[in-house]
Amino acid sequence: MAGRAQIPTSNSALIAMIADEDTITGFLLAGVGNVDIRRKTNYLIVDNKTTVKQIEDTFKEFTNRDDIAIVLISQYVANMIRFLVDSYNKPVPAILEIPSKDHPYDPAHDSVLSRVKYLFSTESVASDRR
Amino acid sequence: MAEIESDQLQRASLDETKVKNEDEEEEECILQFLDSLDAYLTLVDSLSSSLRQGWFDLASARQSMGHTLISSKLFDHKVHSASTTINITELDADNPSDPKPQFSLSKWATTKENPSSEVPNNSNLRHRAPTSVLEDGEKSNGTQVSSVVSNDIQKERSKSLTIFGGLVSPKLRTAQVSFETALDKIVEIANARSSMLSSFSQLQLNKKSSS
Repeated sequence: MAGRAQIPTSNSALIAMIADEDTITGFLLAGVGNVDIRRKTNYLIVDNKTTVKQIEDTFKEFTNRDDIAIVLISQYVANMIRFLVDSYNKPVPAILEIPSKDHPYDPAHDSVLSRVKYLFSTESVASDRR
Repeated sequence: MAEIESDQLQRASLDETKVKNEDEEEEECILQFLDSLDAYLTLVDSLSSSLRQGWFDLASARQSMGHTLISSKLFDHKVHSASTTINITELDADNPSDPKPQFSLSKWATTKENPSSEVPNNSNLRHRAPTSVLEDGEKSNGTQVSSVVSNDIQKERSKSLTIFGGLVSPKLRTAQVSFETALDKIVEIANARSSMLSSFSQLQLNKKSSS
């Protein structure tokens, strides 16, 4: 792929999260929560009131920030913005799809595995999904 | 005539060696890709187990402490830095066309708001867990340093728990440990992903150059 940006090396980059309340609570207990001077957090709690637009905007914001190394996103949330997640191809931040309480991990939907599945199949990823 | 034939034979032998080396490189790349893929899938499975344990402990803590005491409404919205962060380095910086980031976890770094703990001479030690301090071979000073670091880490851990009150259920502490374990696995998954994508792009390049 031509024109790849250099990886921004960092000593204290953040882990961002787009997930349900319990997952966020757990990771905040593990010390990853950050609130900057603009009162912006590095997480978005997704519940039944969260709109797809909010999720999309948050995903775009997290993937464009220089201080974020990894974006954790529950797979069921990633499925809501699948086109956006699949079209993301930067090395940093790394997008990792994780299971949630009510939605176990499905490797068939993982964007990274879908990308490399192409290596084993003569069909394109898009045609597999049809 | 004999010289020409000998030259041709030599050239053919060199070409054969070159093709053999390219085949070996490609096979190595394929193996690396498959290893990373296997590691990725195994780690995701392991992550699922850690997360399940964490959710279960969280549910138990919620049951003993009450639903209102473990809620997102209690999250700290004051300005504060994350105690657990990620260090990113780039493997193979000489090959800019194939970036391969390497992630490592820095757990429970003490914040600048807590200068009360003694700072060891090597500031890196403040960001390491006690076990890695001892692995450095500084056992003579290690006991003192490790206890200082250990106290700092415990303080940071307790700070994370205090958002849910002064006295928390032991299950909440167990949930904290489960999610810390999950974080370790997440970093390994990120590295496996990086390795997998790097080998994948290398294989694609080989495929394009051979066709």
